[in-house]
Amino acid sequence: MTTIWSMTWKELLRKKVLLLTVILTVLFLITFWFIASTLGNSYSGSNRGLPSSDPGLLITKFSEGMVILGLGFFFASFVLAFLAIFSSSSVISGEAEQGIMQALMPRPIARWKWYLGRWLGYVSFCMVYALALFSAILIITNIHATIPKEATNIVIAYFLFASVVPLLISLSMLGSSFFSAIGNGVFMTMLYGGGWLGGMIDKVASQFASLKHEMGSSLDTISGLLSLAMPADGLQRTMLDRLFNYSSLQELISSSNNDFFVIFGIGSAPSPAFLWYALVYTLVALALGLWRFQRKDL
Amino acid sequence: MIAIQTEGLTKRYANGRGCSDVSITIKEGEAFGFLGPNGAGKSTCVKMLVGLIFPTEGRASLLGEPIGSLAARQFVGYLPELYRYQEWLSGEEVVRLHAKLCGIPREVANVRIPALLEKVGIGLRSSDRVRNYSKGMQQRLGLACALVGDPKILFLDEPSSAMDPIGRSEVRQLLHELKGEGKTIFLNSHLMEDVESLCDRVALLNNGEIMQQGTVSEVLQQRPRWRLRIGGFTSSLFPWIQEESGLNMSIIEISPDGLAVIEAELEEEEQAGWLHALLIEQGMTLYESARAKTRLEEWFVTELSGKSHRGEKV
Repeated sequence: MTTIWSMTWKELLRKKVLLLTVILTVLFLITFWFIASTLGNSYSGSNRGLPSSDPGLLITKFSEGMVILGLGFFFASFVLAFLAIFSSSSVISGEAEQGIMQALMPRPIARWKWYLGRWLGYVSFCMVYALALFSAILIITNIHATIPKEATNIVIAYFLFASVVPLLISLSMLGSSFFSAIGNGVFMTMLYGGGWLGGMIDKVASQFASLKHEMGSSLDTISGLLSLAMPADGLQRTMLDRLFNYSSLQELISSSNNDFFVIFGIGSAPSPAFLWYALVYTLVALALGLWRFQRKDL
Repeated sequence: MIAIQTEGLTKRYANGRGCSDVSITIKEGEAFGFLGPNGAGKSTCVKMLVGLIFPTEGRASLLGEPIGSLAARQFVGYLPELYRYQEWLSGEEVVRLHAKLCGIPREVANVRIPALLEKVGIGLRSSDRVRNYSKGMQQRLGLACALVGDPKILFLDEPSSAMDPIGRSEVRQLLHELKGEGKTIFLNSHLMEDVESLCDRVALLNNGEIMQQGTVSEVLQQRPRWRLRIGGFTSSLFPWIQEESGLNMSIIEISPDGLAVIEAELEEEEQAGWLHALLIEQGMTLYESARAKTRLEEWFVTELSGKSHRGEKV
């Protein structure tokens, strides 16, 4: 299994997917730097003259950090999701179509070991990338605003941020044992988009009470079903809540800011049971993928 | 000991392809030619034997271990027909990966891999990435991968189809060496010359079913053919000779001075003497009469001519 795991790392490091990811990440971080800088200056300008010990200024600076981080993670979650999806979407069908598997699988290695080796390779690689991206966003935001410094919350938030990696890779590898490489990539992107849309409906509906009143429970049902089909967005919202320890700060933040945060997913985390659901979802996708691969004709 | 045994091995696909009721027995150290037209189901059979696909019915074993099991796969070296190696690895890295998967200790692999790459003819290019390899080089690399585990049974699916004549000759020589070392070779090939020179036994597959199997000499001598060189032959006499003898005959060569070479398909060897007498009675001179050596390619074409086979014209 470790042979397959290390082969996967070598593959990701040598193929163009890494080069493209690094280039796009650098571009993203440069853009994020300017956005953080602009937002940081704008807040600083509006609060100029207040003493640094003023509690209002502290809350404002913290809110400013929340907005910048919310924005950063909003886009970072897309980057991470697409890396996870596209690095693993062709792992079975693509390699079977190309004939790579025909040469490898007659070797005396159990199929489940090959599958888990690939899974561990993709998951560990993307989680290292997630750590780099997570750290970069925190560092850039800290330069231009204030970020939460509670180590436990940061560690938990990182694992929540990176938890979409095993979820998406488990599902993508399962899909790859059924669909062609391109078909699976499209399916996974649409499913991820659907989950994101479900989360967005939830956020928008919570902003417009009249809309929620008019649409009744149908919006809740749609967003709920989409979130259940793809729980990635719910995990990202939980991550932001844990990072900011939002429940303890809620009373200090003005309602106008509160509405703004919700757009980025802050303060709209699903219930704790959702985390268990996402965990079970990941494990079931992994187990189904293993089961399917054990029986698949290559 | 029996190296490969299949009993009613069947794979059915929704499109009607696959293979049906394949039963073969191959002894250890034997070279077995698995022949058939395109789409006959040869690769499907091999894929089942190496554990890539699962049979619908029947069973098979490799050196007593059920196909697909880890124990059976320990014995196998496989060169697939349609394959590609990881193009982001170098040739040596690909073979090293296969060596690791075979559980070969690093120190053994360090000695074996360079020697093997040299043997298959890509020693100088072994550090190049596979993406820069020609098809022939990839096939040589495939042979190195198949051999790295020092397998007892080699499954080779068109092992030299992408190679130039020199490469083909080298592969032929390598296969003879491997047979000499006592390896069991299961060869899928359309190169009948190679099969005829290497294999002890052959099977002919058509539409997923085995039509014939046996030793090479058995299948070639099922219907003895005699070649006769005669003088005083006139083509107008030929239909009469055919009718009188009741044999299937053909004119191979004829010259204006009455010299001709004819071939007759006999049901029994005794018919040869009777045919000789018939020709002499008609005033012809019999210069030479010998059993015609049938080539495997002729046998292949004869056996399949007029029969439908999947994906190809009759």
